[in-house]
Amino acid sequence: MGGATAAGSVLPFAPMSRSSLTVPVVRTSAARPGPVGLLAQAASDVWSRRRLIRYLVSADLKRKGRDTIFGNIWWVLDPLLQMVVYVILLTVIFSRPEEDYPLFLFAAILPWKWFSSSVGDAISSVSGQDRVIKQVQFPKIVLPVAATLAGITQFAFGFIPLTGLLVLFYSDRISPWLILIPVVAVVQLVFTLAFCLTVSALNVFFRDISNLSIHALRMWFYMSPVLYGASVIDKMSGSHRVIADLIRLNPFYSILTAYRALIYEGKAPDWFALGAILGVSLVFLLFGTWFFKKTEPMFAKVL
Amino acid sequence: MIARRGREGALTPTGPAIEVEGLGVRYNLRLTRKNTIRNSLAQAIRRDGAGGHFWALREVSFTVDRGESLAVIGPNGAGKSTLLQSLAGIIEPSEGRIDVRGRMSSLLTLGAGFDQELSGRENILLAGAFLGIDDGEIQRRLESIIAFADIGQFIDAAIKTYSSGMRARLGFAIATSVEPDILLLDEVLATGDQVFRAKSKDRVLELARGAKAIILVTHDMNWVSEFCNRAMLIEKGRVVAEGQPEDIVRLHEERSREARERALSAAG
Repeated sequence: MGGATAAGSVLPFAPMSRSSLTVPVVRTSAARPGPVGLLAQAASDVWSRRRLIRYLVSADLKRKGRDTIFGNIWWVLDPLLQMVVYVILLTVIFSRPEEDYPLFLFAAILPWKWFSSSVGDAISSVSGQDRVIKQVQFPKIVLPVAATLAGITQFAFGFIPLTGLLVLFYSDRISPWLILIPVVAVVQLVFTLAFCLTVSALNVFFRDISNLSIHALRMWFYMSPVLYGASVIDKMSGSHRVIADLIRLNPFYSILTAYRALIYEGKAPDWFALGAILGVSLVFLLFGTWFFKKTEPMFAKVL
Repeated sequence: MIARRGREGALTPTGPAIEVEGLGVRYNLRLTRKNTIRNSLAQAIRRDGAGGHFWALREVSFTVDRGESLAVIGPNGAGKSTLLQSLAGIIEPSEGRIDVRGRMSSLLTLGAGFDQELSGRENILLAGAFLGIDDGEIQRRLESIIAFADIGQFIDAAIKTYSSGMRARLGFAIATSVEPDILLLDEVLATGDQVFRAKSKDRVLELARGAKAIILVTHDMNWVSEFCNRAMLIEKGRVVAEGQPEDIVRLHEERSREARERALSAAG
């Protein structure tokens, strides 16, 4: 159970559960609540500990802005620099980009970076807090939720370079459709949260999830229409039908295509596809929440 | 039974503060620290039955009445910390039941969840939120915590700049800032420099006087006789004996001497 042996360790907190304040608490080995009960518990956990989530989010943002000269300016520079790398790679070396390729690319890089960095942070959000988990009784679900919510800020910062690109270079592509970006973002957030809850719980039991995720995310990136557009996949349907169908089943096919419709093409996204992804994501979120709550009692023993 | 489990909980004057019945905590050895998929696969293929379960506690029953102070002693790995974790609600019982009446606070084993990048003040708020203390209460206690920790102007500097002594003081100040009905203590009493140690001992004594019940886990037998009016000896997850502190301490010392001798003769 380690913990106590760590060098130069710090003194304790006092775990005191608010629930034990006035009401007697009885803990038994008796059966835990069923799926619906667990989901209700998760909802009340998140709501009753919203202040803790807020503190965790702000601690997370502070940690990311530290020790660098530019601090949070990196949230603006990161997606831009990544875009530059791919623009050079694809226009110069492969010389077959779409029209206005930088904007085409940026419209997909921005949400993809949001997803991949949220997943990266959330994976270790539970296993990285092992000491608190072993000493304080609190709902662990706040940890991945806070990690996922912290990612939103980085995404929001990305709108600064996006606006810059649009105003300075592609003003002819500005359209009222841009207003609907938050709608697509909500769909993405639901999916991201579901994914993060699941992997953060899994990583407690299997630490290789975080190693695996680096490669899985890279594969996922190339299998999603970030560097290329949906038209490339349509062309693939003839030669590699199975792969093309798999890419279309990927939620990020619809999500990134929707962003691109709003930002780059200035037209309505495929609402039907987006609605389907939202439906699937909500089911996935229920599953992820249930899975997290189901495994939660084991965390303190395993960590 | 029904009368004892009154609706008013902590305010109910009758009934013990803590009641533990047939408590068992089982660890699944397949799911332990630093597990990897490879290990799990290997285990699944080998199907070694021996690697199944481990009972950290088994058939533990006791009650702590109001006004009582119970010392839990035993050799390393006997399950003392697991017992405190179960009482604090961090670990769920695998069998049996735990009945706790009153506001509980525990100073468990060393090591706290401070965030290195946050200031001392922010860490107090974060810790309060982890502990589920409501905002108004922690704001009210903020100044007294800062004063007790005696950190001076560093309270607004990031915790990573603190010395280990300062961290220890801050942790202790937060941990003891709320007066609980039931106090769980686990060997946190001897920390910090001489001055702070005396100060923290006073604070623990003060809390102990205010608390309705105390459970203390320690290797320091002086604390047992000084603090507690009852003691319980645990070995290998089971209660060996329970009774007067002096008797239990003597029994523990005899048994650990025997164990040492056995180990020596086995080695020789």
